[in-house]
Amino acid sequence: MRLNWLTQFAQIIVVLALAPLLTGVTRKIRSRLLRRRGASIAQPYCDLLKLIRKEVVVAENASWLFRAAPYVIFATTWVAAALVPTFAMGLPLGAAADMIVIVALLGTARFMLALAGLDVGTSFGGIGSSREMMFASLAEPAMLMAVFTLSLFAGSTELSSISSFMLGPHAGLNISLALALVALIIVAIGENARIPVDNPATHLELTMVHEAMILEYSGRHLAVIEAAASVKLLLYLSVIGCVFIPWGTAMAGANPIAYVIGFASYLLKLLLLGFLLSVFETAIAKMRVFRVPDFLGVALMLGLLGTMLLFVSKVPR
Amino acid sequence: MEHLGGLIHRMPITAVCFLAGCVAISALPPFNGFVSEWLTFQGILLSPQLPQWIPRLLVPAVGATLACSAALAAACFVKAFGMTFLGRPRGAAASGAHETDRWSQCAMLLFAVLCLAAGTLPGFVMDALAPVMQMILGARLAPQSTQPLLRIAPIDPARSAYNGALVLVMILVAAAATALIVRRFASHALRRSAIWDCGFPDASPATQYTPGSFAQPIRRVFGSTVFRAREHVAMPKPGDPGTARLHVDLHDTLWEALYLPVIRFIDSVTVRVNRLQFLTIRRYLTLVFSALVLLLIIVGVWR
Repeated sequence: MRLNWLTQFAQIIVVLALAPLLTGVTRKIRSRLLRRRGASIAQPYCDLLKLIRKEVVVAENASWLFRAAPYVIFATTWVAAALVPTFAMGLPLGAAADMIVIVALLGTARFMLALAGLDVGTSFGGIGSSREMMFASLAEPAMLMAVFTLSLFAGSTELSSISSFMLGPHAGLNISLALALVALIIVAIGENARIPVDNPATHLELTMVHEAMILEYSGRHLAVIEAAASVKLLLYLSVIGCVFIPWGTAMAGANPIAYVIGFASYLLKLLLLGFLLSVFETAIAKMRVFRVPDFLGVALMLGLLGTMLLFVSKVPR
Repeated sequence: MEHLGGLIHRMPITAVCFLAGCVAISALPPFNGFVSEWLTFQGILLSPQLPQWIPRLLVPAVGATLACSAALAAACFVKAFGMTFLGRPRGAAASGAHETDRWSQCAMLLFAVLCLAAGTLPGFVMDALAPVMQMILGARLAPQSTQPLLRIAPIDPARSAYNGALVLVMILVAAAATALIVRRFASHALRRSAIWDCGFPDASPATQYTPGSFAQPIRRVFGSTVFRAREHVAMPKPGDPGTARLHVDLHDTLWEALYLPVIRFIDSVTVRVNRLQFLTIRRYLTLVFSALVLLLIIVGVWR
């Protein structure tokens, strides 16, 4: 029991410590693929350090919500990330909040971010918030449908149980799982503002969504929001890793070597998924904003199809 | 809503209560709407065990619809709160607004606190509602308030559990830890300045996103089929100083297909029957007499 809490605590720290590194690694791979040298993989840490040392410039008419929102966004994202088993199973907090809660916590973060975009009353903030909520109205149900497929398959909505089930003898190749995987990947790309949905590196005003919402932020507030965005990317890759590549994760109460193996395999999984993400991003062009609903709608339909197939094909547990 | 904005500065307590309500109705944790959504999803995930085929096929579609409506509700209430309370005032009514009296504030605060309480301690609410379930369905869930650590586990703790109080505590601890770390290591300098907006100085409040423009992407994605939304743009010719107009047509398909025919039928019948109110006394007497004869004939034939 004490070991489980220790794992949980380590996990809370690990997601926070690794998130900027993951962002740095994906940026690095992307620049290498584009035949650029790219910044060091530690650059996101330096960016965060630089930002928190800077003065904050707040618009004259910004309310308390504008200053509180970064902390709420970061806290909800961090809590959601801490609920995903990364290198070991059996997280005590996982028993209190399942995968539906993770989706909803990200929803709370998005809600606050969209409000923060509207607070100062600029046209860019409005455009960002409005488009973000339009994307979310398709991405969130798609994610929930993927969660439904997984939980119908594993007989539980809790991520640790789903991951253990995937390792067990009853799991096998299944068309519903494949559909859920594709849906999850599309949602992960959409929700993390990656190409082809949004470009995290752009400041082209009319194409940006996430950047438009946080345009008025500076200094430590911006640092907290950037950190939250990194944690969110790590969270999505961890969810995909822990459900679809569950091998190597340490079981609850295993010996210390299993934990070391679990950690190493977690790093490998992140590297692999980050590499695939970068390859996908360099291979595709950014979409027009009103083509994104079609892209995300595919995820919703695939998720629904996966759930439907499970509903008719067998009597799940 | 088109004339409001920036009310968070003039009505701070109303804004907090309104925000609590918005978060609750958008089914976001740690408020009460999420608990209801979570419980419904748990019910949906159990329904493959249903013996009948039709509900088994319908239930996943219901789940998808519920998930969609929760996400759309969030969009709706970002608009409701963002356009009314955030931004800059769009009209004189908003810039001259003031807070309501203490009693109204207390009433709003009470409901906001109740939303949070029902979201963090859902076990007690579920147990209080259990007699109603017993009366309607003849069955009820296992008592939830006796679960350890204030969690709810309607089916089986190994299958799914939710602990609203713990989620709230985790969010608060995480936010406090972040704030402390930032306070300890970050620069404390803060400067108030003009709005940045990518370098557009002195933009008037009319350049803000309006409720209509906020909803436009969603209208374009969902509205064109569900509500047959059509946009008509009337643009004046170059050199013509007249105003350009954007007009949106919306149709509620369900309303027009189901209710409108009934309403039209009732309307037309009432218009015809209405003439009976303006007859002369002779005609009324004739009417009463013929009705009597008709009824007697019916009675006679019936026998």
